[in-house]
Formats: sequence, structure tokens, C-alpha cells
Amino acid sequence: MFSIEPNRRDANGAGQEAGSNMSEVVLQQAASPSVVADRTRVLGRLALVDRIFRQATRAAAVIVLVILGGVIVSLVYGSLPSIRAFGFGFFVSQSWNPVTENFGAAPAIYGTIMTSAIAMLIAVPVGLGIAVFLTELCPYVMRRPIGTAIELLAGIPSIIYGIWGLFVLAPFLQSHVQPALIAAFGDIPVFSMLFAGPPYGIGMLTAGFILAIMVLPFVASISRDVFETVPPVLKEAASGIGCTTWEVMRYVVMPYTRVGVIGGVMLGLGRALGETMAVTFVIGNAHKISGSLLAPGTTISATIANEFTEAVGDLYTSALIELGLILFLITFVVLAIARYMLMRIEQKSA
Amino acid sequence: MSLYATRRGANSIATTLCWVAAIFGLAWLFVILIALLYEGVRGLSPAVFTEMTPPPGSAGGLLNAIAGSLIMTIIGVAVGTPLGMLAGTYMAEYGRYTKLTMIVRFINDILLSAPSIVIGLFVYTMLVHPMGHFSAISGAVALALLVVPVVVRTTEDMLLLVPGSMREAASALGAPRAHVVGKVAYRAAKAGLITGVLLAVARVSGETAPLLFTALNNQFWSTDLAAPMASLPVVIFQFALSPYKDWQQLAWTGALLITIAVLALSIAARMLSAGRRKSK
Amino acid sequence: MNATAHAPKEPPTKVSVRGLDFYYGADRSLKNVNLPLHANKVTAFIGPSGCGKSTLLRVLNRMYDLYPGQRAEGEVLLDGENILDPAVDLNALRSRVGMIFQKPTPFPMSIYENIAFGIRLYEKLSRADLDERVETALRGAALWDEVKDKLQTSGLGLSGGQQQRLCIARSVAVQPEVILFDEPCSALDPISTAKVEELIDELTNRYTIAIVTHNMQQAVRVSDYTAFMYLGELVEYGETDDVFNKPKEKRTLDYITGRFG
Repeated sequence: MFSIEPNRRDANGAGQEAGSNMSEVVLQQAASPSVVADRTRVLGRLALVDRIFRQATRAAAVIVLVILGGVIVSLVYGSLPSIRAFGFGFFVSQSWNPVTENFGAAPAIYGTIMTSAIAMLIAVPVGLGIAVFLTELCPYVMRRPIGTAIELLAGIPSIIYGIWGLFVLAPFLQSHVQPALIAAFGDIPVFSMLFAGPPYGIGMLTAGFILAIMVLPFVASISRDVFETVPPVLKEAASGIGCTTWEVMRYVVMPYTRVGVIGGVMLGLGRALGETMAVTFVIGNAHKISGSLLAPGTTISATIANEFTEAVGDLYTSALIELGLILFLITFVVLAIARYMLMRIEQKSA
Repeated sequence: MSLYATRRGANSIATTLCWVAAIFGLAWLFVILIALLYEGVRGLSPAVFTEMTPPPGSAGGLLNAIAGSLIMTIIGVAVGTPLGMLAGTYMAEYGRYTKLTMIVRFINDILLSAPSIVIGLFVYTMLVHPMGHFSAISGAVALALLVVPVVVRTTEDMLLLVPGSMREAASALGAPRAHVVGKVAYRAAKAGLITGVLLAVARVSGETAPLLFTALNNQFWSTDLAAPMASLPVVIFQFALSPYKDWQQLAWTGALLITIAVLALSIAARMLSAGRRKSK
Repeated sequence: MNATAHAPKEPPTKVSVRGLDFYYGADRSLKNVNLPLHANKVTAFIGPSGCGKSTLLRVLNRMYDLYPGQRAEGEVLLDGENILDPAVDLNALRSRVGMIFQKPTPFPMSIYENIAFGIRLYEKLSRADLDERVETALRGAALWDEVKDKLQTSGLGLSGGQQQRLCIARSVAVQPEVILFDEPCSALDPISTAKVEELIDELTNRYTIAIVTHNMQQAVRVSDYTAFMYLGELVEYGETDDVFNKPKEKRTLDYITGRFG
């Protein structure tokens, strides 16, 4: 026989004061029908507040959607005169003549892609190296400070990189690096093309280099985050059969995180493609496609930043807006791919 | 044994390269900060904070630019934060499982890293062009559009971290969802939400591109929202590209000020979220 | 136990579950459940993990409504009113049917505010009245003496057992009619468990109580009626004494004697 009653009495005995005290108290405040009626009324009012709040949050979510829709629509609308005037030729034409109102996007597109390519060529290996360094090699006490420093640097405004590039990096490249490049590659067939012409200091190479430095913290910190999604037990298992640090990275961590790393790289690329101020300082703003990396050029965003406020005439403005539309579409595709890939790695780790 | 030696050799080469990469990468970032400190500190003087931007070739300060940056940033954040918080709240609370949330999340991520100059173009066509002139208010709107995605993202993330049991407990008392969110979930996520706003402020306070053709610039003191307004980044851009030494010096000093502000905000945001993690 | 005095044999029914089915998406996790909750009595739901006892509890205040894809069919009558009716005001329902969770869930605010939160939802009180109500609720949960000097400190700073009693006080402060306990002691040490059980015992004076528990000893200690569930079905329901001492079903006997579960 399980003894329920005695137990219960014990409980009551032990907490007699509290118990008797409480039953009085509760008697006073027992919910009466009038209380219930009051509540129903109050709840009616609260439900109204709730409905309003819900609708407000929903409206805000819809507004975020509308903003993006608005960005695309307004860009397309603004580009219409230019699209009508130049059609597909806009993409291949190299002319940029405000006087005759003849515009082509080829130099800007070329410059955007070239500078971003240079940037990624430098930033990806270095960024991955930093990520490996931070997850595997760095002395433990230094990991957090260095990691934090890199993340903080990712937040520094691009205009800072621009002003540094203009006053410090460009003169340095002009007097030290570019002459050396010209001398080293001047006689080699293909490379002599890439490094032809006088060392201006500013130009595609300098712009690409600045972009690399800007993108570096992104690639490094995202890759590090992605590397850290690898379950320790996988790495331990590999180490357990005698793999070296590098082999663990090469055969376990990197295959496991490949998708995420590519996502991080694409995110960096998206940033490089759309970056405006840092590039505008050092690109030279020349509307021509030049084979040499040392020559001045332009990018989509630099063209817009430099010329938009001075653009006279609807067609000029419209051509610049069409450039913006092209930039937006390129980055949209790159970012969408990046997000998709990062989403996949998140799901994997979850 | 020779295979083992090869493997060890490969390992040393690879790890050395990683060390080199880390040193190389970090060195550049340090070089930039040192140059900024060196050039920026030289120009620091009380005049920077008390005088207006000068005409070419003469001395002056950055007062109007600092004020303009503050005004537009404050308005931008004041407009963008509530919008972003509400949208993030919808995504994490009311509409967590809806299609709208999935689409908005995707779109928001795109906006988060979209080129800011495109946002500038958008505001130009929507506001500046119809109004017929550049204005501080269109600059503030452009900044608000940059604040929104940051706040949406952090609000959603932080609310998703609030345990479901907390919501259930509040609902079990009969609290309507608005109360559950406003009085319990927001409170639980408070540090994270503030972090998000700080990060958003840090992001927009250094933005130049969207201000170039919305707020433009103004050499004089102005608090008129309908008129062009100076801002630190735009002044830096203009002065740095000028041939005048005085202007270039002011540009460096302005750059230093912005960097300090941005770093301070990011560090504050970090400390807040670190404190939150610890208290859990 | 004076509540039993006027109805010696069968106390009045507060909640009546009739033909209840529950679905998580396509999965049917409750199958034709029928049982009463008697007024001012404690009814325990026992059974192995996944048997549906927590699901059943979460139907009683429609907590499942917070999540998409979950639905209940059948009838659950609270004082004769079907609470599964879509027209039912959920917040009003939940103000009548309180719930205590497995893990203590103090809100991230002061002890005082935790209690005041629920009261303020329904009533605009003067500061003095509110103070009194908070005190009453804390006394009711036997927590007053422990926290009266630190009412303004965070509820998260209390021990697990104190947090759970805070949650009980918070629930009681709203003046519900029914209180649901979802394994309220599974995260507590034995001493805190004893305190919570004592409290449940005292609460039966005024409230109708349902408790889900893994701990059969606890069911014996605190409940008047016991429902044994298995694989979504109600296998046996009866007075606690009977269920534990002379179960009618072999599955019940197997479970309470520890042969499975």
C-alpha cells in the first residue's frame, strides 16, 4: 500500500503556517465571474494591440522587400534612355564621350572584373593562410586577439583604405615595385604586355592591391568561422591515425568546409566588385581598356562616383545609372551564390 | 621512412606558408593603421573641432563636416532602426515559418552586402531628382537604407537565440504575442539588439559613396535638412584628391577621427555581446 | 481536503477531455484520449518518454498553437466550454489555465517584475496594491521569506528550485483556475523537489492541477488520480491508489513495476 494521506498531512504540518495563510489569501483573490468578465474586456484591448503590432512588423518586412524591388525598378527605369540609345552595344563599346553623348561600359566592366580578379588572386590564398594559421598554428593565447583584430579591420571604412592607397601605397609602388616589375617582365613575351608602360603609381594593379587588403579580413574571418564548424572529433580521428597538421587541413578540414569557404570567397568578391571609394582614389579614371596592369583604368563604381554629380544631360546620367544596374546585377548573382553556399554549410553544422 | 620524411617536409612547407601569409596579411593592416595615426595625429588641433572647412589654401577645421555626419547618421539610424527591428521581429516571431520571411531573409542578405553606391543611385532617382536638388535628408535616407539590413539581420538572429521556453512561459500566463515579444523576448535579447544598432552606426558613419550624390557637400555650417550638407567622408574624399597640402592634411585628420569612431563602436558592440555570452 | 467534503464519491469535473486526437503534421500522437480532471484534485500523467503525456498537457492550454503543423481534434471542455474551438480567445484561456515548465523559466527581469508581469496584463493597480499582490503570490509559493530583501534583483540569480517556485508564484498571481505542471521537478535537486511537491499539495485547495511526471514516486506522493499513457493512448485512468496498487491493465503493471519504460 502506498501511503498518500500521511505524507500529505506531513506536508501540511510542515508548512502549516504558510498553508493556512495561503488558503485565506487565495480565497480573497479567487477569480470570480466579474474578474473573468473584466479580463475578457482587457484581453480584447490587448488583442487589438497585438494585431496592430503584428501588422506593423509584417508591414516592415514587406517594406524591406519593396526597397529591394524599388532599387531594381528605379535603376531599370533610370537606365531606360541609355538602354534605348545604345542597346547591347553599351556592353562592348569603349567610347565614353560626354560631348557627343556616346557611352560604352566595356572599360568600366573590364576594370571592375580585372581589379577584383587581382584582389581575389592575392586575398584568397593569403586569407586562407591566415584562417589556417588562426585555427591550427597560432599560439592559443594569441588566437582571440588576432582574430578580433582582423574582424575589426573588416569594419574600417573603405575611404581610409583609399586615402592610404593614394598617399602611401601608390607612391611606394611607383618608385619601388613597378619599376622592378617592368624590369623583370619587360623581356618575357606575355608578361611584357601586362607590365608595359611607365610606372604611374595609380592604376589597375594598385587598385587591385588595395581591394585585396580590404577583402582580406573578410575572407580570413569567414574561412576561420567555417573551419571551426568542423567537428573536433573528425580532426582528432585524422590526427589519431598519424596525419600531420597540414594533412588534417588538406584532407579533412578543407573537403568538409569547401562549400563554406567558396561562399566566403564569393562574399569577398561581392565586396570587391562593389567597392567604390578605395578604388576611386587610385584607379586613375581612364575610360579605356589597356592591356597593361600598370595603366590607369576605371571601374563601374569609380565612374559613377567621379562623374555622377557632374553629369549633364539625361543620357549621360542614364548611362551612369545603367552602369549601376549592371554592377547591381553582377553583385546580386555573386552574393546569391555566396549566400546559398554559406547556408549549406550552416545546415551541415547544425 | 622516406615517405614519412616527405610528408613531414610537406607539412613544414605548408605551415610555414601559413605563417608567412598571416604575417604578410597582418603587416599590411598594421601599416595602414600606423600611417593613419602618423599622418592624422599631426593635424589634430582644437581648430579641427571649432572651425569650418576652409577654402583652398588656407587653414580651417572640420566642424561642419563632423556636425553633418552626426546629424545624418542620427537621422539615418533613427529611421532605419525601428524599421529593421520590426521587420526582424516579424521574421523571428510572428512569421518565423512563412514564405515571406524566407524571401525577406534572402533579400536582406543581398541588401546587406550590396554596393552602397547603388543605394546612393536609388535615393538619387527617388528623392534628389524629384526634389530638384541635393539635400541632407536624402543623405540620411540613404544611410537609413544601409542601417536597415544590419538591424534586420541582428534582430532576427538575436530573437532566434531567445529560448522558446521563455516565450511559452509568457504565453502560458495569457500574455498576447505583442507582450511576449515586447516585454520578454526583447528584454532577453537586449544586449544583442544594441550590438546590432552599434554595428549599424559603425557601418554608416564611414560611408561615402551613397552621400556623394545625395547630401553632396557644403563648405559652410548648415543644419537645413533640405539643403546640401557636409559630411566627414565626403570632405575627406574631396580634400584628399585636391592638390592643396592643407586640405590633404585635414583629410588625414578626418580619416583618423572616423576610424577611431568606428573602432570604438565596434569594440563597444563586441564587449556587449561578450558580456551577454558570459552572463548566460 | 475540505473540497472533497461536499462530493464524497466523485468530485466535480473541471476539465473533460473527449475523443482527443493530436497530430504533429501527419503523425498522430494522441489517439482517442478520454479523461476528466476533477476540480481541486491533482491528476498525474505518467508513461514512458514519447507516450504523449506532455502533448496532452499542452493541449489543455493550447500551447501547441504557437507552432505550425500541430493540431488537435476532438473536444476538451473547460467548465463545459470546448477550448479547441477556433473562436476561443487563447490569451483568455491561458489566463485561466496556467502552466509550469520542465525547466524554470524566469523572465530576464527582477523578481518583482517577474510576478508583476502577469498581474499587469489584466489589472491596473496602484503601486501599493501591486506590492501586496506580489507579496501574496510569493508567500503563496513559499518564496517570500527567501526573496523579500532582494525583490529588485534579477530572477535569473535565484537557485533552480527558487526559480521554479518563482514561476509557480508568477502563474498563481494571474489567478488561474487550472495549473498544468510539465515535469516541474526534473531539473531540481531532491530538497527543492520536496518543496515544490509540498507547494503543489497546498495549491490543490484552490486549483485544479494536472502534472506530467517521469517519477512514479512523485505521482504517488502528489496526485489523487493517475492516467497511464502509452504510445499515444490512455491505457488506464483511476484513483492513484488503485492505479498503483491494483492496476487493471497488464501494461500498467509492467510499467509501474519497472519492466519497461
